[in-house]
Amino acid sequence: LLPLETLNNSYQLSSIPLQLLFYINQFYYIFYFVVTLTMIVYKSHVFSYPDQFLALDLTLLCIMATLEVLRLYLGSRGNLAEDEGPLGLSLAIMIGSIVLSVYFLVWQTYVLKVDVIINSVLLLMYGLESVLQVLTIAAVVG
Amino acid sequence: PSKARDTAWERVRSGPAPLTDVAKLCVCDLLVAQCDVNCCCDPDCSAADFSLFTTCSVPIVTGDSHLCSQKAAIYSLDTDANPPERVFELVDHVNPSVFCIHATNYEQALSFSSPEIPTAENFDELLKKFGSATFRAEPDSWSMNSDVPDPSDANETYRYEYGVPIQTVDAFLRLPSPVVSSWCSDANPAGFLVHQATKCVRSISVENCGNIQAVSMLFYINSSILAVNISVQSIVVQSLNGMRTLLNSSSVLRHPMIVDELCINIVLGVSYHITYTDTGEIIEAAASFVLGAVNKEALTIQQSFEINFTQVNTNPVPFSGNPGYVVGLAVRAGFKPQGYPFPIALLLSALNTNKYGQLTILQSTANQDCLTAQESRTPVLFGYNMISGCKLRITAAMNCQPLAQVLLDLLMGQSFPEYVASFGNSQAQDVLDWVPITHLHTSEQRISNTFQSSCQIPVALEIEVKWTKYGSLVNPQARIVNVTATTTTTTLKQLPLGRERTIPITTSVVFTDISSPAEPGYKAWPTINAKLPHDFFFPFV
Repeated sequence: LLPLETLNNSYQLSSIPLQLLFYINQFYYIFYFVVTLTMIVYKSHVFSYPDQFLALDLTLLCIMATLEVLRLYLGSRGNLAEDEGPLGLSLAIMIGSIVLSVYFLVWQTYVLKVDVIINSVLLLMYGLESVLQVLTIAAVVG
Repeated sequence: PSKARDTAWERVRSGPAPLTDVAKLCVCDLLVAQCDVNCCCDPDCSAADFSLFTTCSVPIVTGDSHLCSQKAAIYSLDTDANPPERVFELVDHVNPSVFCIHATNYEQALSFSSPEIPTAENFDELLKKFGSATFRAEPDSWSMNSDVPDPSDANETYRYEYGVPIQTVDAFLRLPSPVVSSWCSDANPAGFLVHQATKCVRSISVENCGNIQAVSMLFYINSSILAVNISVQSIVVQSLNGMRTLLNSSSVLRHPMIVDELCINIVLGVSYHITYTDTGEIIEAAASFVLGAVNKEALTIQQSFEINFTQVNTNPVPFSGNPGYVVGLAVRAGFKPQGYPFPIALLLSALNTNKYGQLTILQSTANQDCLTAQESRTPVLFGYNMISGCKLRITAAMNCQPLAQVLLDLLMGQSFPEYVASFGNSQAQDVLDWVPITHLHTSEQRISNTFQSSCQIPVALEIEVKWTKYGSLVNPQARIVNVTATTTTTTLKQLPLGRERTIPITTSVVFTDISSPAEPGYKAWPTINAKLPHDFFFPFV
């Protein structure tokens, strides 16, 4: 368990590392989204990218962006308000995000080296965030 | 065992499996079981052969260079060693770029797809996909919207265009014609709407006249034009001395037979009449035959063939030009039936001046006497000014009025038309394409004494046809604009008994070109088109 700090004789349950990670995550995700979109455009020009695969990849990328925005908002709000509801919901949405990230890492039509790199970093971030979120939920509930 | 046979059959049907092992691929190995020169990857070459090479024409064999890591076979010649030997290395080629393909989940991405081997089942589909001049690079399953099939293809077998050979059940409708010499060749197809008339020579002998197919009627009616049977329209029998008789019953097929050392019922001429609709379908076909006879001495016969086309519901009036009149072809004319606001096609052509709907004038005969002239008329040909006439011998006993009527009939003919076609291909149903004939009357002499109501007899008919050039300057078409028929009359003076007078009666046709000269046209001055782009004041407008 993390050492609980006291401030005005009350324990702070919000986790600072988690909030840091959320902050970094939103900027990284913008970068990730731009790079993935650019790579899809590049692939469709250089390689033969049939229309239905292209449509599938773009749709999944948009879904992932939506999920990410929701997840970060709920997680950040739950962490700051020390509320386990949004935190739990955010954790649930993270499962979807992880699946989508694995798709872009392994099951995409063309997986370039740059895709491998940014998806690995994203998955690493998800892993750290999930651990911290679980701990924070436990602290808030318990 | 059956499953193995099926998989082997599958492999045969889909072609050999693509070779992807770089160690075994060799592009320069062209000669089978022989060593190719300077080809370091050729498995047929021995070490002794390698020592004679100067360079390696194929130094490296790799897969797709986009992949992040791939196998590469590198061939090189080690010239330092004595004798030179070939060095073969199999390495992993790494693409340093960050945009290299790490993995792909799409099999057709990096290799050419092996084409389908045509079999009886998929042949029609493959023909539909690849049978035309172009086809899409991606298979049809990729595209969202496939091309809409051309609706005219549905009836293509029945619709003809000009010049297309007429199809019959087995091949094409053939019109025998002379090819290089005058011998008949049976390979000339008849083209749609192409009027052909050919004459050619065929060898024949009386003994085997029954065996030669091309002289029997059956040969020419046997092939049916795609659901339309060729019917026999008429049979004319030509005897040995050239006399022709039209047979009454033309429904019986007559085969060549040997009768009294003569071979009769030999086809000497065929004339096909094809009726078509305006959508290009052939609905009727008829053939008229001329049958003749040959005797023992004859070695060859001359056959003549003709084909002509008529549009359905029109009478076969030949065009005098398409669309403008052609110089030398007859001027077409006709009537408008009484009471009808517009001519009806059949009626119009039925009442024409002559059978073919042509404007005619009196024809001069050797016997120049008008009254005994044989009513022969000649058609007016476009562009040819004509003059004809006869001499009228007037005696004292002639009465004026009947004489005037006879002369009028002589000049005008039995039924002088009211309208002349302005274009060579004017149809009877287009009223505006027909020009009315204006009639004028002039008198040769001024009637000096008005007391005598002397009768006038027509002595001259002058038809003036004014035409103009119509259409483009490069290809002007002749179009008749105005037709004026001027009848000149003269007074018939009573002759004293016993005296005779001869007056000439003339008919003339004059064609005048009234086309207006071309006007020069100049290109418009160039204008400066200076406009600001519509979003020039972007944030404010």
